[in-house]
Amino acid sequence: MADMVKFTIDGKEVEAPAGELLVDAAKRIGINIPVFCSHPKLDPLGACRMCLVEVEGRRGRQLVTSCTTPVSEGLVVYYDSERARAARAGTLELLLINHPLDCPICDKGGECPLQDQAMEHGNGESHFVEEKHHKNKRYPISDWIMLDQERCVVCWRCIRYLDEWEDKPQLGLYHRGGETVIDIAPGHPLDAKTSGNIVEMCPVGALTSRVSRFSYRPWELSHTDSLCTHCALGCNVRVDTRLNQVKRLLARENPAVNDQWLCDKGRFAFGYMQHESRLTQPLLRKNGTLQPASWEEALDAVTAKLVEASKQPQRVAAIGSAKVSNEANYLLQKFFRQYVHSNNIDFRHGSDIATAGRGIPSIAEFEKADLFVLFGVDMAENIPVLDLFLKRAVNRRHAKVLLINSRRVEDSRYGTLLQPAPGEEVLLLNGLSAALLKDEAIAKRAGRLSGYKAWLADMVSEPTAKLNLSESDFGGAVAMLRRAQRPLFLYGEAVAGGKSGAANVTALTNLALLLGAVDRVGYLPYDANAQGARDMGVLPDRLPGQIVLSDASAVSRLQRQWGGTVPAEPGLTYLGMLQAAAQGELDFLYVMGSDPAAEGMSEALQKVGFLVVSDLFLTETAKLADVVLPAADYVESDGTFTNLERRVQRAPKAVRAPGRAAPDWLILTHLAQRWPVVEEIKDPKRKKRGHGRTPNIWSYASPQDVLQEIARVVPMYAGLTWDALGDAGQQWPAEALPLRPRLQSVTLPTLSRRSFTHWLIAERVLYDAGQLFATTEQGHNLIMAPAVHINSHDLATASLAVGQEIQVTSPHGSVRLPLLVDENVSPGTLFVPLGLAGAPAEQLLDGQYGPVPARIEAVA
Amino acid sequence: MSGLKELVESTQQLAQAMKITLKAAIEPPLTVESPVEPIAVYPRFRGRHELRRYENGMERCIGCALCEAACPTGAIHVEAAENTEEERHSPGERYAKVYEVNLLRCILCRDCVRACPTEAIILGRNYALANYHRQDFILTKEDLLNPPEPNVIIRVKE
Ligand code: SF4
Ligand code: SF4
Ligand code: SF4
Ligand code: SF4
Ligand code: FES
Repeated sequence: MADMVKFTIDGKEVEAPAGELLVDAAKRIGINIPVFCSHPKLDPLGACRMCLVEVEGRRGRQLVTSCTTPVSEGLVVYYDSERARAARAGTLELLLINHPLDCPICDKGGECPLQDQAMEHGNGESHFVEEKHHKNKRYPISDWIMLDQERCVVCWRCIRYLDEWEDKPQLGLYHRGGETVIDIAPGHPLDAKTSGNIVEMCPVGALTSRVSRFSYRPWELSHTDSLCTHCALGCNVRVDTRLNQVKRLLARENPAVNDQWLCDKGRFAFGYMQHESRLTQPLLRKNGTLQPASWEEALDAVTAKLVEASKQPQRVAAIGSAKVSNEANYLLQKFFRQYVHSNNIDFRHGSDIATAGRGIPSIAEFEKADLFVLFGVDMAENIPVLDLFLKRAVNRRHAKVLLINSRRVEDSRYGTLLQPAPGEEVLLLNGLSAALLKDEAIAKRAGRLSGYKAWLADMVSEPTAKLNLSESDFGGAVAMLRRAQRPLFLYGEAVAGGKSGAANVTALTNLALLLGAVDRVGYLPYDANAQGARDMGVLPDRLPGQIVLSDASAVSRLQRQWGGTVPAEPGLTYLGMLQAAAQGELDFLYVMGSDPAAEGMSEALQKVGFLVVSDLFLTETAKLADVVLPAADYVESDGTFTNLERRVQRAPKAVRAPGRAAPDWLILTHLAQRWPVVEEIKDPKRKKRGHGRTPNIWSYASPQDVLQEIARVVPMYAGLTWDALGDAGQQWPAEALPLRPRLQSVTLPTLSRRSFTHWLIAERVLYDAGQLFATTEQGHNLIMAPAVHINSHDLATASLAVGQEIQVTSPHGSVRLPLLVDENVSPGTLFVPLGLAGAPAEQLLDGQYGPVPARIEAVA
Repeated sequence: MSGLKELVESTQQLAQAMKITLKAAIEPPLTVESPVEPIAVYPRFRGRHELRRYENGMERCIGCALCEAACPTGAIHVEAAENTEEERHSPGERYAKVYEVNLLRCILCRDCVRACPTEAIILGRNYALANYHRQDFILTKEDLLNPPEPNVIIRVKE
């Protein structure tokens, strides 16, 4: 606890920690000193002079800026004195000399601090009658943001945010005096991934959103406290709506999650919600084409087929989604387990990913860790707001970063990058472990595992030579690890999936174990509810609560809750289902909020006996379906999502769903109520069978009812209610899912390039061509054009030219793509982002997780 | 006696009444054949809304929705959009893409007129507001920009 000091404001005695800024101390006792440049999240600057107060100094009463003055013992402050008031009114008058006062057409008008302060502290009239300076009024500084230089009050907030948080000083001040303007470097629009935050921070209407431009006035909006569901962080947002239309999203402060930030995708890419291509009515395949149908017809058709198919439950499967709510996912698996008796339940990036199922230790850890080990993680592209916290840790706390990635990513500038070739990650991690074991203290900790040690030493003699790494990089990495007091190990989907996933994660866990930090290994998933889908049991071998099928007592508890029996055999994984489909072994597949066909799986899906899809859009998968059910988006129904730090957060309904679209929980409830067993149970003449023999009837009237049941069934969610979640959500403790940490020997994954020349790496980028992003028109320019990225060295060897169309071939497919030189890609690898137009990467992967072997050749 | 008195009195009353009737019968009628004939209104009469233009034909309205905010009955609905070089409606950056007045709600209070920063919306002198269908009481931007010439005579100060 800092020392407390006493001082007075307008005669009132105030106690505050020494060194606190006057403006903050005053705020706590209810004196709101007006500010423009001062901002709680930015370093004090004192640029605007709006916050002037008088203090008693050695040379009498002086005017000082309260946003840069720390409080001290005995300080005497006058806020409401005549001179201080006049000074503030004078500052305002000066600020307004050149201000255009075009409030009626300004998007900030109505919530503008300049307006408010001019009303509260201004003189009401100006001495200045001269013509105002004219500057650039309509100046797009990026695809998202419009700058009006005339309205700017030169508070530097935007400049400081980009500098202090984004670490990308892309805005600057030019010229002097009344001519001063904010500008970008010529020809370099802002490309910071969280640039939208400056729109919210700008105290005037100088920076406005181009997405929402002129589409609302602040006073006519309704507000709903909700979430962003574009990535797994689950940033808190306020959804502003008017007449049943989402007009904008603003960051909602939650110190435990997103602080007060949003990334540009979260803030601006909401166009999909009201896009005209949304499904508004059920579609039923009649005579080979999808035709509009009533809900009755559609649901009857699904039930009829499913009842028939359920006679062979192993030929029935369901795909859940990490993009939809806990409630929907819970009901999906419950329906298929309880009524259909199938464990063929999974989601994309579900059981095919190796993870302990606990996400990351906590977001707050970013404020404490002194070493970040980023294994196959591209935070800037995948979780930009979390990336802000990483940058902050590096720039403010001098935390270290060790990256293990075959590709150079944006965060590589913050630390040491080790670039193992695909398939050699385990060798590298084991090499690091072996090097650490040379340290006595560490070896002592691992002492009893001499077998492991011997095995390790044997396996990784001379890792640097094998891996083609520089000794100094490797040695530096070892030193970093050895020195770390509080390391945080993070791995991403790029390394946790596929053939080498399990080995990669085990090798990383071993490394963490040696440093006594096994509970500090975290997994960064891509999608908003990846954690929740796991917790809800949308896995072929796990029940709700991630309970293994062999846990007899848990299974019987679940059966008592649900009634009926839960199938005992593990089901098919996501990839397993698609393989089964390709073999013609699936009679029925229910796909909720997922699009496997867009990932090159359409051939397999065509062989499914009966395909049901519930989604927002007529996706590639939906086009193949026999029944398409129009689903409601998360803003159109209450629901909860669990983010990557296991925080369960609520997303309430903000607008009505378009047309006759319905939320997934309701669709599933209707399906369950049509199930024949329900008729049987309702029959009064039914013979009373033993307790729990038949499944209970579903009677959910709202998503809250479902949540109530989840709180009963899922141990980690015990006691959660909609109200208890509140605005900040609740995190379930990682210990609720205990680890069994022990060093495990890992066999090197046997990846072979065979006759291929390169490894193809495919990872997600922020601005992809998926429906959730591409439906926001303003973002179209930001979507990467499909191309294959290649190192200039490889380009030279292959004697190909930039921009040339080439044929990329993998064992799974072949596509034509233009060449793009990208020095971030290491020699011997090709990089194709996931989710681009035409899905080139997906065609080459064919549902597999990367990396896959590939080769390039000129198109004849 | 009393019978005679009554007779005289009633005859007198009848004559008096007939005098008024006969007088009115020969006087020209007071009724105005609205809307065929013009009606006389005072200069500050508040009638149907109109959206005005500048002399060069540009719309004055900038879609700021201040009128909407000022309206005590929620009679106005504005949706704004941005002018482009190809499609310019008003001088500045912004114009009203949708502008509607719901005459069933409007109480002709003139608050919208007072709120307007560009003197775009005014209450004209058209009093003929009756209609046959509810939806016809919603004035669209088209209706407001092209108001029918009101059939009125403006009273001059006496
Ligand atoms: S920035 Fe504020 S004061 Fe300036 S025009 Fe916009 S609303 Fe008005
Ligand atoms: S653009 Fe806004 S945030 Fe940036 S300096 Fe000007 S007023 Fe401040
Ligand atoms: S006259 Fe009054 S009630 Fe009618 S639209 Fe204007 S503000 Fe609303
Ligand atoms: S009529 Fe006037 S107040 Fe109403 S939107 Fe147009 S400019 Fe604004
Ligand atoms: S707020 Fe203190 S100088 Fe700007």
